[in-house]
Amino acid sequence: MNPLRLLSRTKLYWGLALICLIGALLSPHTSSGRNIFLSYQNLTDVLRQVSITGLVATGMTIVILLGGIDLSVGSVMGCSSVICAMLLTKAGWTPASVMAVPAATIAAAFAAGFLAHFIFNGLARGRDVDVGRRREIALGPWRGFRLPALIGCAAGLAVAAFVATQVPTKFGVLAVLVATPCFALVLGAINGAFIVKGRLQPFIATLAMMVSALGIGRLTGGQDFAVTPVYTGTNATEAFEVLRSTVWGLVPMPSIFFLVTIIVFGAILRFTAFGRYVYAIGGNAEAAKLSGVKVAQVQFSAYVISGMLAGLAGVLFVAQYRQGKPDAGSGLELDAIAAVVIGGTSLMGGRGSLAGTFVGVLIFGLLTDILQLQNIDSNVQLLVKGMIIVGTVLVQEQNLGQLMARWRGGPLTTAPPRSESADIRRPPNGAQAPNVAIREELNETS
Amino acid sequence: MSDARDALPTQASSPPSGAASRVVVETIRVGKSFSGVTVLQDVDFDLRAGEVHALVGENGAGKSTLMKILAGVHVDYEGTVRVDGEAVRFGGVRDAERAGVSIIHQELNLVPELTAADNIFLGREPLLGGVFVDRRRIVKAAETLVRRLGIDIDPDSRVGELRVGEQQLVEIAKALSLDARILMMDEPTSALSATECETLFKVVRQLAAAGVAIIFTSHRIDEVVALADRVTVLRDGRHVVTAPIETLSAGAIISAMVGREVALTHRDRPPSQGAPVLAVRDLTLDTVSARGWRRVLHGVNFELRPGEILGIGGLLGSGRSEILESIFGAARGWRGGEIAIDGEPVDIRSPTDAFARGVALVTEDRKMRGLHLDSSVRDNVALPSVGALARFGVRDFGREAALAADIVERLSVRCNDADQLVASLSGGNQQKVVIGKWLGVAPRVLLLDEPTRGIDVGAKQEIYELIFELAARGLAIATVSSEMPELLLLSDRVLVMCEGRQTGILSRAEATQETIMRLAAPGVGAGAGGAAS
Repeated sequence: MNPLRLLSRTKLYWGLALICLIGALLSPHTSSGRNIFLSYQNLTDVLRQVSITGLVATGMTIVILLGGIDLSVGSVMGCSSVICAMLLTKAGWTPASVMAVPAATIAAAFAAGFLAHFIFNGLARGRDVDVGRRREIALGPWRGFRLPALIGCAAGLAVAAFVATQVPTKFGVLAVLVATPCFALVLGAINGAFIVKGRLQPFIATLAMMVSALGIGRLTGGQDFAVTPVYTGTNATEAFEVLRSTVWGLVPMPSIFFLVTIIVFGAILRFTAFGRYVYAIGGNAEAAKLSGVKVAQVQFSAYVISGMLAGLAGVLFVAQYRQGKPDAGSGLELDAIAAVVIGGTSLMGGRGSLAGTFVGVLIFGLLTDILQLQNIDSNVQLLVKGMIIVGTVLVQEQNLGQLMARWRGGPLTTAPPRSESADIRRPPNGAQAPNVAIREELNETS
Repeated sequence: MSDARDALPTQASSPPSGAASRVVVETIRVGKSFSGVTVLQDVDFDLRAGEVHALVGENGAGKSTLMKILAGVHVDYEGTVRVDGEAVRFGGVRDAERAGVSIIHQELNLVPELTAADNIFLGREPLLGGVFVDRRRIVKAAETLVRRLGIDIDPDSRVGELRVGEQQLVEIAKALSLDARILMMDEPTSALSATECETLFKVVRQLAAAGVAIIFTSHRIDEVVALADRVTVLRDGRHVVTAPIETLSAGAIISAMVGREVALTHRDRPPSQGAPVLAVRDLTLDTVSARGWRRVLHGVNFELRPGEILGIGGLLGSGRSEILESIFGAARGWRGGEIAIDGEPVDIRSPTDAFARGVALVTEDRKMRGLHLDSSVRDNVALPSVGALARFGVRDFGREAALAADIVERLSVRCNDADQLVASLSGGNQQKVVIGKWLGVAPRVLLLDEPTRGIDVGAKQEIYELIFELAARGLAIATVSSEMPELLLLSDRVLVMCEGRQTGILSRAEATQETIMRLAAPGVGAGAGGAAS
């Protein structure tokens, strides 16, 4: 590949390297002359701090790749943190357990049922020789529906039994790790249902959920602006401490959750049919639909995933800050969107990657760290972050070259116009939508 | 083509006489091409003050392109345009408007939320003190215009609440407010009822009497005969004839429109046999719009056997595409009737269902609905097959690549490699990619909507051969086409649509350009048909 093109493709990583370099050069040193920024302790702290944003940004990436947006993740995370904290600290049927137990049951039932169907489908395909020339396989009523439904019910009951036994005492680590994301998953499913079935715009549907989830969080917490403290060892299980520990003194636990999540979903986007469909729908939903892609199903799944990851982030928040707070995630959705966008994912959908989001999240985290090490006023930090968002996206979208060219008055360094659309000009009356004009042109060229 | 020119009187043979025939607009050897596809070539045309001039031709004959050149919509063209004897080159629509040339597009350019008066003066509002819009003056001026046109529209009513015919009149009033001396209307009657047409014609005649030169296009030959003073026929982007309406019969106009030789190879057609793969009975489609429900398909019936190619003919908007989309489960609206595959009634509600039944659709709008332009050839071709090739949801990149390579080779798609972006391919090769997408999933019924739209002649031939080859391998194919020669070349039978109704199915022997056009054109009826024969 042309070296310049390679440089252009990898510019995000060069940006990350540049930020690391700046951090190292500007970093204060300890009395013994060691560079604080480059210390292992500092770098793992950065990774720990970005984990919550990172988890949310992972789900957000999938949604944005589809051409959607999920504004509700911050509130859902906050709401989940309250639920998680209450489950940990309060025994019996509190509002938290009343919501979490059925949510976990339903989510487990559907997840297991779907998984069973999926596996039967894969097995049936495995026996078919002529795979390339074959349509959807009808599994029949048993393997297609009844058996998966039975398996789903069984799994739902098992989870219900497991979670319900925790209600009279207090929830343990494993139980909150199952129940809280399941609860958030249901909120995500509500988003997805309104968007797919109700044909609401994602912005509107998730905005409504953003407001509602904050309300749910406050109602669950009992009073407005209530903080539910978690003292491991006194009012909650000591085992919960594991979620904020550093594993083998090497990697912080939240970062492991983040890294595993981003690797798993990165692989899903890259290697599965689902991932291909996400990109296809984001690129051209109409063409994808007409190609037989189940657009509604994929969209729904994306919002479910986004909600679930926000719930998981809520659990990690409780572990990290020892409290559940309804407004814990205020502004988190915007941080996540910023990280996704910095990572090069187009808000129009269809273009971007989780690797980019990972780097975007790191750039954000490292920047905060550098500014903090420099003791820069937090308000100035916000200003700098804003500038970084605009700056990176300008470079990402290759608008900088155009801007500079226009500024110099030289020719625009844009890509050559596409062969057939070059002549398409829209009547300047303005009232007509561009695609109408293009269709007219096509009528004429036929 | 040249014999038609000789046989019919041309513009040169009817010299202008009197003040009423002063030439206001003239084009000399005007041509236009879109990225190599010539849509207009060496067209000489003239328009006189106070005349109503009809521009007719088949879809794609170049009518709209010619009007858009005159209106300053297309600014890069070959040849010369003269207005009042002076060569001009409009830099845009505003230039043309200043010269008194206005165009009313088929898709009206009105803002539904604003009132009629506001629309008329949109962008040119008289201001009070340079800041505030002078509503009183707008309404008064609009009332004057409406009175001048002798029509009954309240300038204060919202355009969205007006009927289409009334909206058309608002457009005319807008053009008049620009002091238009030359008014062009692209298919002004396509959405109008009979009474609305009458009102429009009255206004048009009145304007012509006042000295405005008017050009209009129409598919309805009866309208052309009723309204026009002179007719110009275009065919394949070339000028065929210009003559006073008295000298041309409806039949002669149709012959001039379609009269061209089919220079393409036919296939050796094996007799189609076997049980029908697809049977469509009483297919109806109702769509909902701001004006309520509208029936766009009224009971369509046909059967399709393996290896057979059914052509679907008709004018734009006659419901041709809707038939295909209804079968494929992609039509917006409420579908009625019955669709059977292999004799078994099926309920196809979405493209996914159609896909599972082995029905494939190649859409008319390749770029917007058929392809992911920013993706590679491989990704586009493999998309419908990704799920089928995957095991436990994990993609099999090897098989996807093999599938894409196989299809690229079979359809001889000209590209550097399968990684090339589809956007950078030519129209013909893009079309092959769209067809190739479906071959991967081995469909049994292939629905093609305008398979050669925007493709040049050489590539068309390749697409035809591809379609023949697919039919020979047993695919049942239904294809919509606006181009008569294409329809006749491809089809074993031709189903003709007119205004949402199936007006007939012609066998191979019966189908000619004239018989199809007679069934397709509303208002031509038996009278014009008689004149044609």
